[in-house]
Amino acid sequence: MTAPTIMLSHLRKSYAGHEVLHDISLTAQDGDVISLIGASGSGKSTLLRCIPFLEVPQAGEVAVGDINVTLDNADEKLSREQRRRIKLMRMQLGFVFQSFNLWPHKTVMQNIIEAPVHVQKRSHKEAIEEAEALLHKVGLYAKRDAWPSQLSGGQQQRVAIARALAQQPKAILFDEPTSALDPELVGEVLRVIRSLAEEGRTMIIVTHEMGFARDVSNKAVFLHQGMIEESGSPEQVFLDPISPRCRTFVNSHFERNAG
Amino acid sequence: MMFLQQTLVALLKGLPLTINLALLSLLGGGVLALLLNLLRMTRVGSFFCRFYVWLFRGTPLLIQIFMVYYGLGSLPAVRESLFWPLLRDPYWCGLLALILNDAAYTSEILRGGLRAVSQQSLEAAKVSGMSSYKIFTRITLPIAIRQALPAYSNEIISMIKATSLVSTISLMEMTGIADSIVSSTFRALEVFLSAAVIYLILTMLVSKGVSMLERRLSPYYFGARS
Repeated sequence: MTAPTIMLSHLRKSYAGHEVLHDISLTAQDGDVISLIGASGSGKSTLLRCIPFLEVPQAGEVAVGDINVTLDNADEKLSREQRRRIKLMRMQLGFVFQSFNLWPHKTVMQNIIEAPVHVQKRSHKEAIEEAEALLHKVGLYAKRDAWPSQLSGGQQQRVAIARALAQQPKAILFDEPTSALDPELVGEVLRVIRSLAEEGRTMIIVTHEMGFARDVSNKAVFLHQGMIEESGSPEQVFLDPISPRCRTFVNSHFERNAG
Repeated sequence: MMFLQQTLVALLKGLPLTINLALLSLLGGGVLALLLNLLRMTRVGSFFCRFYVWLFRGTPLLIQIFMVYYGLGSLPAVRESLFWPLLRDPYWCGLLALILNDAAYTSEILRGGLRAVSQQSLEAAKVSGMSSYKIFTRITLPIAIRQALPAYSNEIISMIKATSLVSTISLMEMTGIADSIVSSTFRALEVFLSAAVIYLILTMLVSKGVSMLERRLSPYYFGARS
């Protein structure tokens, strides 16, 4: 039995005394595609952002592969060793943001090869070859020398996905990847994410696209007020949830999309 | 006509010193401005920076030059110090005053640029596993510099013109030479006008150069050209 790709145990996170994540544990095995759903404010984005420590939880443990960081002292600063491990964990994760977060002063190609060349110290030539393959994959090879500001939202997000893939991550985390997009651009991004799921990549996706989440994931987790209220197979969570709150939430989304 | 030609030739002999002072003060001021902005990240440092900027922006450059050249030299401690060979020389005094003054303005320009770097760019850098140093040198600073470039081009021009003030401590840059020609020929209009034309050409070239650099660094950034 190999270590799970991502393991979160007993995570707690609070802002100014208000707890937004209560004792959350979640495991992603290799090849899992987990969708995190829930109303705004349920803590799903915060949970996702805790994995690469964009938010620092107060307590609990985060593990990516065989690297783990345990937090026991709520308000103490992170130790040097903890920060070293966080950096290593980040190098093994890809993160795709809601608002793309491409670096505006770098071209598409430069955005993609930045981490491979300057963090992972791979050769420039190899990084470029891989970036070209990734750009083909997301259908944007023609834009390799464009600047982010010249691209549509959907194109920027596809570049951001290529950038995440270029790190050769063990898992990719998506934080509402289509929420900032115009409706007509959502499809192109979802198609790319779907193709990654089909390749068997490990992913955790925070999303409001219920139909997509149901189709693409093998596990769904419904968060409510910072707690996991329901989790299981997509069939269970989306079609026959035990929790009445989850049922109401899921139904209201499907009705809206159907209407 | 003959006189104008002779004047121009004489003035141009001061051009290297003008350019030398402008370049070195911008270079020194730039390094100091970067250090000031790094200092700003700490509590005490931030207080010091504000005090520094308040002092050097709030007093005339001419007084700063006089303070360094005449003021420091009147202190016995300075005259007995290691730096006296430098501080008795008008060139080093002028340069020092220009650097200190430029740093105050440049640090404010750079501060504006640094504040404009978005949280989003920084988070993207963090999740890629970059160290704080890498984030600063590869993401924060390059974005800040691009943001600050238009305002900085004013500062470059400002410093080129400011070098003329060191003529008051006997440095023979262009204005110093012009002044000496006028005092021997009394033809103030032609001489100063010639000097002004050289400054105009110089600052025009700088404006052009910086806007070319802007377009080269970020052609589609901030809607510079679309």
